[in-house]
Amino acid sequence: MAGDRKLRWTGTGLGILGVAGMVLLMWQVAFWVPTEATMGVVQRIFYVHVPAAWVGCMAFGIVALTSAVYLWLRDERLDMAAQAAAEGGMVFTTVMITSGPLWARVAWGTWWTWEPRLTLTLLLWFIYLGYFMVRASTENPERGKRFAAIVGIIGAFNIPLIHLSVVWFRSLHPQPVVVKPEGPTLHPAMLQTLMTGLVSFTLLFFAGFLLRYALEHSIRGEVPTAAPSRAHAYGRPDTMEGVS
Amino acid sequence: MSRYLAQLGAVVRKDLTLELRTRERLAAMGAFAVLAGILFGYALDPTLVRPSDVASGFIWLTIVFGGLLGVGRTFALEEEERAIQGVLLSPIPRDALYLAKVVSNFVIVGLTVILVLLVFALFFGLELRGNPTLLVGVVGLGTLGFVATSTLFAGISNRTRMGDTLLPILVFPLLVPVVIYGASATSRVFAGRPPSEVTGSLRMLAAFAIVALGVGASLFRFVVEE
Repeated sequence: MAGDRKLRWTGTGLGILGVAGMVLLMWQVAFWVPTEATMGVVQRIFYVHVPAAWVGCMAFGIVALTSAVYLWLRDERLDMAAQAAAEGGMVFTTVMITSGPLWARVAWGTWWTWEPRLTLTLLLWFIYLGYFMVRASTENPERGKRFAAIVGIIGAFNIPLIHLSVVWFRSLHPQPVVVKPEGPTLHPAMLQTLMTGLVSFTLLFFAGFLLRYALEHSIRGEVPTAAPSRAHAYGRPDTMEGVS
Repeated sequence: MSRYLAQLGAVVRKDLTLELRTRERLAAMGAFAVLAGILFGYALDPTLVRPSDVASGFIWLTIVFGGLLGVGRTFALEEEERAIQGVLLSPIPRDALYLAKVVSNFVIVGLTVILVLLVFALFFGLELRGNPTLLVGVVGLGTLGFVATSTLFAGISNRTRMGDTLLPILVFPLLVPVVIYGASATSRVFAGRPPSEVTGSLRMLAAFAIVALGVGASLFRFVVEE
């Protein structure tokens, strides 16, 4: 399929750019950016943690958006996009919730604490774990897509809460330093390093997204999107399917 | 509007009549509540912690765990003989069907919650020092939020291969606010703290219940479609 090949090439191109960005980021983090005054060297995790958090939330935002439109238009491509974005989101959220404790152990003196932002993020991870489980455990694939879309939409209610949790509740998690009403309050070199991180993580995400989408597309093949004919393709004439 | 309510009421009446005749879910949840109370009682070392201090947390865990036993069966009967097809063919709007299921679950779980409170008052030596109306408000709003969330997902898990195994995995992450605010408000009401310390939690529970009901009512039609 010609479309698939184009997606793969674009994905590979973005991936190469993303890896180059990562190399630059690592150089900046290790040799270039000044050390933060109070936290010391461990603050450098920030340049991985924050981009991962950003990409994770963006990915699940994409999942919610494509899922909502999928329920409306029932276009197979939207479901494939949601699935690809959800897998990317899982990867980057995992990076976020593993890099966080490494930093917290030094900065707070504890790996984990029951703090709104941490808790909500962990829950976000589990909600999207459920997203994959629901998708996998239905016999009728159309039903799995619909159920996954519902979970994907509900899970996204969490994202604004995560962003606002540090502002609303008096929380232990550091306050935002970039996205806030009075503009960024960060040393220019730090801001620049963070931007490298954000850009290269975003590029890597979209690279993975496109490649995953193309893969899913070739797995599912050129099946018409309307539900009944799809049910036939699975050898189950129009079924209300399985007494479970 | 009155037509909507009549349809809603018909489903509620059907569900409650069925439950009254079989008493399946009530019996299961009631037995669970008493047994959980006993187990939680033994899980504590009374020389280290005072049981009455931790009772509120256990109350909410019992409500959530036990409640899921019953709520998970919301659609079981209808799914078995494909009776759900009949319900879906009737001219009832999907959101009315969802709200009816929420109402009947709320009644059934609510009865269990009363039992849970009695069990823990007995086993854990709880005394209500605060305002009883406040307790009803906290428990009622918390239960409503719980039921609104889990009814939607019971519809989903019931139609998957994993069945009720999937339900807690889907619902627990979403129920954290209910447990946090429910447990803290309940323990404060029992300890007789001033109402102003509870209103914040009450507001959060109410907000959660409203959002859960709205989201559930609007997404339920995608659960039962086909």
